[in-house]
Amino acid sequence: MTTPSRRLSRREQHRAGGTGAKVTARNTLIAYAFLLPFLTLLVVYHTWPVIFGTYLAFTKYNIISPPQWVGLDNFRELLRDEQFWSGLKNSLKYILVVPVIQVVAILVALLVNRPMRGIGFFRTAFYVPVVTSFAVVGLIWNWMYQQEGPVNAVLGFLGLHRGGSFLNNPATALYAVMFVTLWKGIGYYMVLYLAGLQSISPELEEAATIDGAGRTQVFWNITLPGLRPTILVCSLLSTISAIKVFEEIYVMTQGGPAGSTYTALFYTYSRAFQDFQYGLAAAGGIIIAVISILFGLINFRLTRGGRADA
Amino acid sequence: MLETRPAPVQPDSFAAAAARLKARRRQRRRLTDLLAYTVLIAIALIMLYPFYWTLITSLEPTGNIYEAKIVPQAVGLRNYAEMWKGTTVPFWRLILNSLIICTLGVSLTVTLATLAAYPLAKMRFPGRDLIFYAILALMVLPNESGLIVNYITTIKLGLLQQTNPVIDAVRQYLAVVLPGLASIVGLFLLRQAYLGIPQELIEAARIDGAPELTIWRRIMLPLATPTIAAFAILEFVAYWNSFLWARIMLPDKNLLPLSAGLLELSGTFSTNSRAVMAGAVITIIPILIVFAFGQKYFMKGLEGAVKG
Repeated sequence: MTTPSRRLSRREQHRAGGTGAKVTARNTLIAYAFLLPFLTLLVVYHTWPVIFGTYLAFTKYNIISPPQWVGLDNFRELLRDEQFWSGLKNSLKYILVVPVIQVVAILVALLVNRPMRGIGFFRTAFYVPVVTSFAVVGLIWNWMYQQEGPVNAVLGFLGLHRGGSFLNNPATALYAVMFVTLWKGIGYYMVLYLAGLQSISPELEEAATIDGAGRTQVFWNITLPGLRPTILVCSLLSTISAIKVFEEIYVMTQGGPAGSTYTALFYTYSRAFQDFQYGLAAAGGIIIAVISILFGLINFRLTRGGRADA
Repeated sequence: MLETRPAPVQPDSFAAAAARLKARRRQRRRLTDLLAYTVLIAIALIMLYPFYWTLITSLEPTGNIYEAKIVPQAVGLRNYAEMWKGTTVPFWRLILNSLIICTLGVSLTVTLATLAAYPLAKMRFPGRDLIFYAILALMVLPNESGLIVNYITTIKLGLLQQTNPVIDAVRQYLAVVLPGLASIVGLFLLRQAYLGIPQELIEAARIDGAPELTIWRRIMLPLATPTIAAFAILEFVAYWNSFLWARIMLPDKNLLPLSAGLLELSGTFSTNSRAVMAGAVITIIPILIVFAFGQKYFMKGLEGAVKG
């Protein structure tokens, strides 16, 4: 910790806005008083879970008796547990959503970025699923996916194969849930891509057009590179949330049927809240965290790879 | 560049060519617009039909429930009446719970963030940058065990004890909102908004001897109102929609917020999905109203939140 009397560097002074209130013990006290309520709750509900959760991963714990140190036992048990592996597999499969949702969101953003009449309506319409609770969304799609339901009706109308009840079929359940994630998430990424598109200077695109570049050329050479930072953020966000998918599963399938939608985070949830094996669940959480960080890094490399952008 | 091009020699033929070009471009534009509208309408149907379908099915008293339809076969409020009566948990109680949780959650979250962002943006004190970067780091630290540890914490704090009905209710409402009150995103949003406020204004107030709390209330809050509004709307939607935490840990089902209670009811109402649909419609309506009114704020807040 720094001492209260320490003078701030010139850079820090500059960032604080230059001259003004001096660094006195009284001012420091006031500053910390402003921060106190926030920091207290932050430490209890954000920092403590990281610390205690990591510790728990190496213990046996059921809340009633104190945690018992077991070393790496939980991790060994996880690696032997077939359910955990199939959960991991389903979580990784869920990453399939990422490229689809990003491509669709970029296309939708390009569409609603056009200056057309009534475009505001479409932007709002695409955003409605985003602001709806997963509880409601899950229930609605449970009904939509029924054997006699609208999804099958539409498939039949299009002359496609009509499935049974999508969520009751182990072959289709995971994909059905993935579609809901896609459906609910498109509007969210659309808004982010819209912001990205609007930050690309129109002069650049105009100049390219004047120089005789076609529409597709402008898209590939100007628009897409300009979107690269947004693509990086968005694909990172969606990869991480795909690996950690939980709420959709919790509301729609509870991991079933026959474990076909059982994901890694659902595994930790059921170990903790159904079997009261908190240590094992925490260890599962750490493995999921490591995997999502790895995928985050891969994603980072992929989106940054190739030519460096401006 | 345009200026370097040679001046037109035959203005008439150029004008004619330009007009032709313009007409062709307009025609092509109309065609692409038509195409764009077709695609947009198709996507809008996919996005909105599930909601519309739920609404009309909830209005039908009887009939083939899961059938795809465009208009309801009959319209009545029977399902809404049934939902309202509830079975295990009265529906009005769920609405009340949600209102309490949202009011508590939004006002406290906004207050805490507006307070904490002030010294981080406008005061000088030792440890400021350290705290700022520590909070930043917390955003990326893995927190997969958050649900589990927060549950343990809530129990250890005695928030789930059951002794006296009134105190129990207060404690359990607190248990629902406490984990979400320190919003890092909100802190960043507000710090960003505060940084844009001229330092001279604050210095002048300080020279006049105004206490920091007064500066915060009289200068920072009014000037950051657009950001505060955006953040409050984001938080309202988040609290109104949250269900997982409450459903997992609340011992008293009578205190569940609406979206969590809806899931609970969908279990007990398994024989009458139409009533649950009515409940789903009621759950969505407040969000749609808030969203419609605060849409601009909402999008701004979202963009700001991601850009951090």
